[in-house]
Order: sequence, then structure tokens, then C-alpha cells
Amino acid sequence: MRRLPFWVNIGLLLIIFRLFYLQVIKGEELFRLSKTNAIRIFPIKASRGRIFDRNGEILVDNRLTYELAVFPQSIDDSDEVLKKISLILNIPFKDLKSSFLKNKRGILAVSLVKNLDKEKAIIIEELKDELKGVVIQNLPQRFYPYKKLASHILGYLSSIDWWRLSKWQDYGYTMDDTVGYCGIEERYDYYLKGKDGGMQWEVDNCLRLRNFLGVKLAQPGKDIKLTIDLRIQKIVEEVLKDWQGAVVMLQPYSGEVVALASYPDFSPEDFLNRSASLEKVFFDPSSPLINRAINVYPVGSVFKLVVAVAGLENKVIDLNTHVYCEGSLKIGKREFGCWNKHGSENIIAALRDSCDVFFYRLGLLLGPYKLADYALKFGLGKSTQIDLPEEKEGYVPHPLKRKTKKMRDWFDGDTANFAVGQGELLVSPLQAARLVSVFANGGRLIRPYLVQAIDGKDISAKQIKSESLAIKTEILEIVKKGMEEAVRSSQGTAHILYMPQLSVAGKTGTAQVAGKQSHAWFAGFFPVDKPRYSICVFLEHAGSSINACQVARIIIERMQKEGLL
Amino acid sequence: MKTHLKIFLISLLISIWGVFTIYSTRYPFNLSGQMPFFLRQIIWIIVSLFVLWLVYNWDVRKLWDLAYLIYIITLALLLMVAILGHIRLGAQRWLKILWLNFQPSELAKLSTIIILARYFSSRSIWDIKTKNFNFVKGVIFPLLLISPFIILILAQPDLGTALILIFIYISMLYLSKIKKSYILILIIIFLCSLPFAWHFLRDYQKERLLVFLKPGMDPLGAGYTVTQSKIAIGSGRLLGKGWLAGTQSQLRFLPESHTDFIFSSFAEEWGLLGSLALLGLYYLLINYFLWISQRSDESFLRLLAGGIVFLFSIQIFIYLAMNLGMAPVVGIPLIFFSYGGSSIFISFICLGIMMNIQRRIS
Repeated sequence: MRRLPFWVNIGLLLIIFRLFYLQVIKGEELFRLSKTNAIRIFPIKASRGRIFDRNGEILVDNRLTYELAVFPQSIDDSDEVLKKISLILNIPFKDLKSSFLKNKRGILAVSLVKNLDKEKAIIIEELKDELKGVVIQNLPQRFYPYKKLASHILGYLSSIDWWRLSKWQDYGYTMDDTVGYCGIEERYDYYLKGKDGGMQWEVDNCLRLRNFLGVKLAQPGKDIKLTIDLRIQKIVEEVLKDWQGAVVMLQPYSGEVVALASYPDFSPEDFLNRSASLEKVFFDPSSPLINRAINVYPVGSVFKLVVAVAGLENKVIDLNTHVYCEGSLKIGKREFGCWNKHGSENIIAALRDSCDVFFYRLGLLLGPYKLADYALKFGLGKSTQIDLPEEKEGYVPHPLKRKTKKMRDWFDGDTANFAVGQGELLVSPLQAARLVSVFANGGRLIRPYLVQAIDGKDISAKQIKSESLAIKTEILEIVKKGMEEAVRSSQGTAHILYMPQLSVAGKTGTAQVAGKQSHAWFAGFFPVDKPRYSICVFLEHAGSSINACQVARIIIERMQKEGLL
Repeated sequence: MKTHLKIFLISLLISIWGVFTIYSTRYPFNLSGQMPFFLRQIIWIIVSLFVLWLVYNWDVRKLWDLAYLIYIITLALLLMVAILGHIRLGAQRWLKILWLNFQPSELAKLSTIIILARYFSSRSIWDIKTKNFNFVKGVIFPLLLISPFIILILAQPDLGTALILIFIYISMLYLSKIKKSYILILIIIFLCSLPFAWHFLRDYQKERLLVFLKPGMDPLGAGYTVTQSKIAIGSGRLLGKGWLAGTQSQLRFLPESHTDFIFSSFAEEWGLLGSLALLGLYYLLINYFLWISQRSDESFLRLLAGGIVFLFSIQIFIYLAMNLGMAPVVGIPLIFFSYGGSSIFISFICLGIMMNIQRRIS
């Protein structure tokens, strides 16, 4: 035998070195890898916790759907499997391919088609031998028995986004998670979501199951019981349907939110199916996704309640202080108008008639600092800490804030505007409902909440308690009297709400908006002697506050009719 | 023992070992009514052995006369593939003749050797050393001769085989004792043209090349095969998992485990020791082939044998390097070992030619 030329020897040595490296040096590691290679994990999706109303009526349920998934290992260059699926399900191949490429991650099956019909699922299951790597998985999916009802409270489900993922990664969230957006679904996602399980099987490439290796059962998410009363929520939403706005109803002592509605609303189901109407929801100029109940707007005369308390507490005025309203008041060089000529009025009459001139004067006597202090004291300009993630804080103007942030001066005219709730003050309907609750419950600022129990455990005891505002009872009684008069008296701005069998107290508001129709507000509580509910009706660009009072009246009447009062 | 008997026995041993490996890679059979791969391989080997016997008892010098006929037949077959090629695995490489699939690109390898051996042997050493056999006649013309093969095979598209043809062409130039500077110039031109060739590659070919440079790029996509191959080989460790016990190929994690990646399945089941034994057999075979090619004194036979040595050693090396993750994945067979009738058939004809030359020497 001859010696071979050097190139043969070099080639041989290269191969031997490489073999030695792979089989001896990295052998153990690769051996372990080859073991796991044959293992497939079939996920068992956890069902999300259900959501109930305060009486145990189901608001959000789950039902089983079929999902078509493909193990990425079995899709080769030729895309044969995807082509077959596209033929069977009549879905364009391009869509399948792109969704496959988009969702391909790791060794878990890639979900391609959700919400499969039962018949089609059976067909796929029968053709399993030809469709390599295709599995039909059971997927519990959200089911909304009342469709759009309480959509803003509940929120919707969608795939996790980067922002949420980076925030929640440490809590075990992954790229493939579907998470709640807005509402209870987002805020209590951690409790609702449950833990996915899975089965481990040793398989061959056709996904024929060879050996059962183990199972980890899914843990369903925890059920949540809300403070919402389904019956009242239904009434409120039906009445609100004719308007664009929001209605909030609270229990003035506990802070339990009984109804919270915003219209236009959306259907959370659209987000599950990624249906075509979803685009309409996103681009609708009336922004149905915004929860108007916790979004902030100019509040108008409702703020006069706060100014009244401030005036009485600071002894700037008392019951005998009268102001003569001749239809307008000149402050500086500008005429500040009232909506009517009211003549001589004290505080009760001024609240009843919503006299602007009285409050211009009162505001000027108090000064803007006092007004801002009292606005903050009544919980304006900061979050109510309700369990809804997208709550807006609102804005309370302040001369110093104006000076430091906008480099502009504060004038008396601004004070006058502030005193009647115009100008920069921004309040959410929820904050307004909380504000009137102070007069209903004897001077306590409540913390509104939506969740009563998680997983059967009552958490209302753990909710943040209401705090006393330390307002003297006499002062509260005077303001309350004014609110009562606004309804009872035939001159009152909310007289439309007068019902002989039920006494309502409240304050209207008409907030002017530059260039558009005014916002209509009504905030009040009922029955007056033993308040059970506070209510705030807010109608966006609805003109006169009469409309808001009308809505409140229909709601109360229908509640009476259904025996809810 | 006579040398021709030795190389015959070595080749037969490798083939039988290959059949066992093919049997194992497809082990839990799909009962779909198709003839199992290992049985087809056995049939091919039996047919090839018969042809081997014919070639051994023939006079391979007659190939000199037949060279252009073989050239034309090969060209015709390649054209037929291009026109009515049977679509398989996304590539048109097969020709269905009666009940069997034939791959003319395998024949093209042998044809290239024969035609170049004839071309260079028809010139005397004197011609080559003088200007009579200059760059055009010595380099350009033979390239033009085989370029139809290369173009047609590239069009299939079969990058691996086309590259092997170019390798054969360069090694035939080397064997013909042409000026070394010509070969150097050629290699430089070849290397310079690579960036332009890149644009003509299909997307999946580009992907394969890129993935070879960075396999972690896509562990479950194009890099999947390479990773699985490495896992298969490595998991064999020193002694292997044992015959019929390789999970990688049997559970079908290793694609093309009976053709492009049979060595990986083999190494998984037989371990380092088995792999070294197989390498040893190939080493002996190449060694004897080389010995035969160096001992033959006729120019045509020397070039023919030399070409076959290069063809075998390059194919084996690239195949093993590819399985070991050292070279990009291209579709070439492992001689005598991997499943594929055409490859077995042509390899045994090559063996027959070598044995015939050996008989002539002694």
C-alpha cells in the first residue's frame, strides 16, 4: 500500500476530528437533545375565569372551540401540508403561510385557524394521516351571552403586545398569551388567566403518539364577581342607546358600582374572531372603545356643589347671604352672563336655579386657591382608584400651575369661570358620581369599586375604605337642600325629575364646549331621605342639561317599574 | 488477495452496510403499499453487480471510441429531464424509465470524466507542454465541452452535482499535467465569479448557504436539518445507540435520512467506532483506487482512473462534511451507501472500470 497524497489525509483528519468533537466532546449534550427531540408538548389551554354580576348572573362565560394547529417541524419547503389545509378549509394559502411564519416559535404547535367549525374539525381529524403534523386542539374561548353589554367594564381579549409583555414578563407571561385589554379583563388578568397545562408524548414525525410521558393539568382562571347589577346595567344601557355619553351608578355608602355604561359601545366578540367589523370599531369617529364614564370632560355647574361647600365652610357666606342676579356680572372688562335673571337669591336658591352670578361672586370671594383646594378635597383631579385600568385623572386648574407650566397669568375672570365649572376643570362622570355621594352619605369620600369577590372570596373588606371629609352636617344639609330644591321646586333646573313617589336630589350641569354643542350633566342621588344610589348622567355634546335629567328620569322610572327600588 | 477482488469486497461491504442502515432509517415502515426502500436498494445492487460483471469482462479502452456517443446520450437524457422531468422534492432531477426513476445527473459525472479523459489523452504530453496546447485549447475548450452538462444540471436545480462537475473538470486539468498557472487563473476566475453566481441561486439555496454560515439563525427552519444532523451524529457517542435504535431518523426528525443524511443516521446508531470503521473502508478504497490510477501507463486509462478517484474522494468528503455540519447542504449521494439507484448503478460501473484497469495492469 502506498502513502496517500496529503489532501486525502487532511480531508480524513478533518472528518475524524469533527466526528470526535461531535460524538465525544459534545456527545452527552447532543444525546440529551436527541431525547427531547422526540417529545411533543400538546398544550391544554386553561379556561379563563368567568365574570358574574352581584347576583351571580353570568356576564362572561367560556365555551369550547376548535383550533387547527401545526407542528413547525413538519412543515418543509414544499408547504404541502399548508396547501392541503388551504384546499380543505378554503382559506387562501398565502394567509396560512404568513400566519404560520408569523406565529412560528419554538417547538410548540403553531395555531393557524381558530374557531373552526365542528364539521371541518372532524374532516381534518379524519385526514390526519395525510396532513402531517396537523392537530386539532380544543380551545376554551370567551363567550359573551349578552353581546355588547357592559363591554367597557369587561374589556376585551387580544394577543399580548410588546408593552404589556415587557411589563408582565416577570409574572410568567409569554409572547403567545392572550391577555385582557381594558376593563376587568386587563386589571384582573393575573387572576382570570389561569395556568395552561400540557401533555407530553413521544411522537414520530406524523405525530403518531408513541409513549405517554406525562400530563400537567390546566388550572382554570379564577372567577370574578362584580358589584354590577345586571338588571340595572341593562336598563342603563338601553336608555343610553340614544345618546353619546356615560352613566355611572354607585351605592353612596359602600362605593360599589352598580352600573357603569358608556355609549357608543363595542362587541368584545369581534376581537376574538378578529372580524372585519373590528376595523370599523377602531376607525369609528365616535371612538366606541373609549370608556366615557372614566374619561374626563368639562363638568359645568355640577362643580357649584363644591364651591357652595367651600363658601359655607370658610364662612364667606351663610344662609342669609343674598346676591342679586341681574343676568350678568362685569368682571374686569368682560361681561360674565347668567343664563337667566334670577333676582335676589341665597345659596339654596342659587343651587336650585344654578345661578351663575351668585357663584361668580362666591368664587371671587373665595379666590382660586380655595376653589382648587376644595376641588382636590372632593377627589377631582386625581384617580378614584376604581379597578379600571384606563381611568383618567382629570384636571384641576390652579394659578401656580398656570404660571409655572404655561407661563400665563391668572385673572379674576378665570376664577369666575372656575367657580361655575367652566374653563380648564376636567372631571369624569365617575368622579362626579362620587362627588354627589358625599352629600348622600354624610360627608364621606368613597372609593368606587367593581369587584366584589375573586374565586368566591369576598374582597370588599379589603377594598380601600372611604374617608371622611370632615364637613359639618349643617353645611351638608344646606347643600343637600339646594339639590333637593332643584328637583322639587318648579323653578328648579332638574324639575323634570320630580316624581311624587320618589324624592331625587341632584345638580345639573351644562358645560360649554368651544365650537360645539354643550355637554349635558346630571349628578344626584335617590331616595333623598335614605339614599340608595348615586347617579351621574353625562351626555356628550347633547345641548341642554334637560336631556341628561330626562335620561336619569327614564332610568329611575324603569328601575321602579322593575321593582329595583 | 488480488487488488481488484479487494476493492470489490470493500465496495460490497459498504453497500450491504448501507442497506442495513436504510432498513433502519425507515424502520417502523409506513404500510402504504410502497416497496420498502431497502428492498429497492437491494434490487439496484443486484442489477448493478450484473453490470459490474459485464464491465469487468469488457475492455474499458473501448470507452475511448464510445466517449462522444456517451456524451450525446447524457446530453439527451439531461434535456429530457429538463423537458419532461418528473417533479419530485421540488426539483426536476428524475427521469422515469419504465418503473424506475433514473437521475441523469449521476451519469453526467461519469460522462464528464470519460469525455475529458478522451479529450486530454488525445493530446500528447508534447502538445501540452508546448504552446500548441495553450489556454484556449487546454482550458476553455474542455470547459465549453462540459458546460451544457453544468448548465442543464444547474437548471434542475442541482447545485451540488454542478459543483462536483466543476471539481472534476479542475482535477482533470490537474491530471492532464497542464501548466499550473492555467489552473490558478481558472480558480481565480471561478472565485471572482462567485458573487455574481449568487444572484442566480434560488431562494432556498441562498438560505441553505446562509444557514450553513450561521445555523443558529433559524433553529427550526432551514437550520433545522443541519442541527438535527449534528444531534443525530453526536447522540451516537462512542458506541452508538445500536442498529434499529436511532430515534432521530426513525422518528423522522432528520429529513432525508435515507439519502442526504444517511451518514448521520448511521453515526447515531453505530457511534464513533462504527463511523471510524466506515471511514476506514472508504480510506482503503480510495487508497487502492489511487494506486491503480498511478500504476496504469496508458494516458486515457490513467486519466479515467484519476478522474474516478477524484470523483469518489470529493463526493465522500463533501457528503461527510455536509452531514457533520461543516459544509452547506447540497443534494449529493454517499457512494455505495446512501439510497438511490442511479448513484449505486454509476458507482458500481466506476468500480467495474477500476477493476478492469487493474486487470489490465496485472
